[in-house]
Amino acid sequence: MLSLPLSFRTARLLTGGGFFFLWGLGVLDAAWAGPPVPRMDFVPPPAGTYKLERIQRATDGAVLDAAGKRRRLAEFTQGKVTLLAFMYSSCADPTGCPYAFTVMHQVKNELEKLPQTRGRVRFVSLSFDPERDTPQVLALYGRDHGGTEQHVAWDFLTTRSRRELLPILDGFGQDVGVDVDRATGKAIGTYSHVLKVFLIDGRRNVREIYTTDYLLPAMVLNDIKTLLMEAGVPLK
Amino acid sequence: MKKSVRAAGRPRQLAMALAVSAALAGAPTFADETSCSPFTPLIKGQEDLVYVWTLGVKGVGDGSDKLVTVDVNPASKTYGKILHKLSLGGRGEVHHVGLSDDRRYLWGGALDSNKIYIFDIGTNPAKPKLVKTITDFVQKTGFVGPHSFIAMPGRMLITPLSNNKDHGGETGIAVYNNKGDYVSHQAMPKGESASWSGKGDGYNYDVGINPQKNVFLTSSFTGWNNYMMDLGKMVKDGEAMKRFGNTSVMWDMKTMKPLKVFSTPGAPLEVRWSWKPGDNWAVTTAALTSKIWVYKQDAKGEWQAHEVGTIGNPADIPLPVDISITNDGKGMWINTFMDGHTRYWDFSDPMKPKEVYKKKIGSQVNMVSQSYDGKRVYFTSSLLGNWDKKGKDDEQYLKIYDWDGKELKEKLSIDFYKEKLGRAHHMKFQARDLSTLKPLETAQSLPAVVARKQ
Repeated sequence: MLSLPLSFRTARLLTGGGFFFLWGLGVLDAAWAGPPVPRMDFVPPPAGTYKLERIQRATDGAVLDAAGKRRRLAEFTQGKVTLLAFMYSSCADPTGCPYAFTVMHQVKNELEKLPQTRGRVRFVSLSFDPERDTPQVLALYGRDHGGTEQHVAWDFLTTRSRRELLPILDGFGQDVGVDVDRATGKAIGTYSHVLKVFLIDGRRNVREIYTTDYLLPAMVLNDIKTLLMEAGVPLK
Repeated sequence: MKKSVRAAGRPRQLAMALAVSAALAGAPTFADETSCSPFTPLIKGQEDLVYVWTLGVKGVGDGSDKLVTVDVNPASKTYGKILHKLSLGGRGEVHHVGLSDDRRYLWGGALDSNKIYIFDIGTNPAKPKLVKTITDFVQKTGFVGPHSFIAMPGRMLITPLSNNKDHGGETGIAVYNNKGDYVSHQAMPKGESASWSGKGDGYNYDVGINPQKNVFLTSSFTGWNNYMMDLGKMVKDGEAMKRFGNTSVMWDMKTMKPLKVFSTPGAPLEVRWSWKPGDNWAVTTAALTSKIWVYKQDAKGEWQAHEVGTIGNPADIPLPVDISITNDGKGMWINTFMDGHTRYWDFSDPMKPKEVYKKKIGSQVNMVSQSYDGKRVYFTSSLLGNWDKKGKDDEQYLKIYDWDGKELKEKLSIDFYKEKLGRAHHMKFQARDLSTLKPLETAQSLPAVVARKQ
């Protein structure tokens, strides 16, 4: 559970406010209600009754963890079922990063009800914004969500530079636009992107990709369970 | 005012590059580019460009298939001009194109060569660049004639028309990822099975996705033996005329398994879903029977197909071909190839649609695309290389009309023979500035999605 003192520390770290500020207000804890999840107008197929195809390989690249240590992204996309989302901490678009976090929190809550999933699922949030999302900033996320002791590990990663970030975005097929002021040509701190969340199996294969209209907690949960069952985890 | 510097995932062989585009104010209005995938961001203001997938004709220009880019923004100094011609260096019966999930790439298929071309239309939309040619489609899938391309997140769903065993109409569906690499394929349902209801014939043609219902709908046409045959010869061949698809299929999008096969005789072609929030129906038109089919769930939630109308006089075989639905689902353009007419149907009640307007566009007309606001309607002429009319009736054009809700008024016409281009077939719109694109609104979307910046 996030606390108000954290929120004040968090808010002071940022000038952009946005998503991080909302988080700081304690709205991203397990009980957080919104942004609302779209109505799901169908019953998702039961976990384990369908196959998720291997869409592409999960791209590797150089990243920084919340401790500022140089790591390989591949360390975070193998050995467990991984849900990876690109984000940036000052994102204020309710259907972008905050919405992805809503879904991830809901899925995480459901996974925590299933003892068999403990230690088998990882969430990764990788920043679009290496300049502002420093390891120091990301450490605040990790304090409440990261770490291997969690039922669902949640790692917050960034990169050393845009130059190191771009090949990762390229590999995943994640588009992003850096919004700049037309008059000055300077970045104004927001990013335009089609929200994509990647589901990756333990062998670094991307098995599903969700965009806003198809990023539904019940669907994501069943897909994760499907991959776990494929790996032999008894979930039925 | 801001502008956007975008970086995007590219096919593997391309180096990452940054493109700069200036944001333009695009006031959202209420209609849509309804042939796009619901996963593809949309142009909700004035479209800047139209790409025309054009069949090469021997003796016309370089004789090769090509992607033609036309400036269609009336505010542009080069309005109505052909900005770019990208020749493929040969002929392969190019047919349809489809936009990627981020609208940065255009995929185009060729029904005879079985090649699939991927163009970068994001770096410089006015100057598409061929970045990959997929040549393993037959080898990987056993299918022939890649037809429709509709984006799913990170991948492209492809509907082929035929197979490499007998070149008949039995075929399947295939998936390639956004890098252009093969992912999967499977056969269309044939016969009866415990896995689906209804009786399949194995044919395929177009596909339309409804993510809110977790379904997609496919239709059916005919195989290579027929679509590469001269039309006059084929219609006199009784056996050939039996080899058309008579079914459409509702699929579970997540499991990629067929749910139900509908009997919809006479080659139901283009598939469109109504995108009006709260609507829950799709529509096709059958080429050989001139019937309109609407697909919707009954009170028990089971999908049903309903014959709801007849286009022209079926005995005359008007041959309904492409359709274009307004994004409020209340109207639909239907082209009839043989008489060269477009017809506007009032779909206020989709179970009782009625034709309310008709206009002759040319000696032959095939494709129709309407702008997001529904005020501009685009037409092209070519159906298939061997099915187009002969002699003076073989008009090849792109025509743009203004539509005021009562009458079509011609605004621009480009003669594709006079310009030494070839046969004008499928069209897709593009914006010069991709940061102006907007997502589809649906009943299930968040209210804020309407205002979301992409």
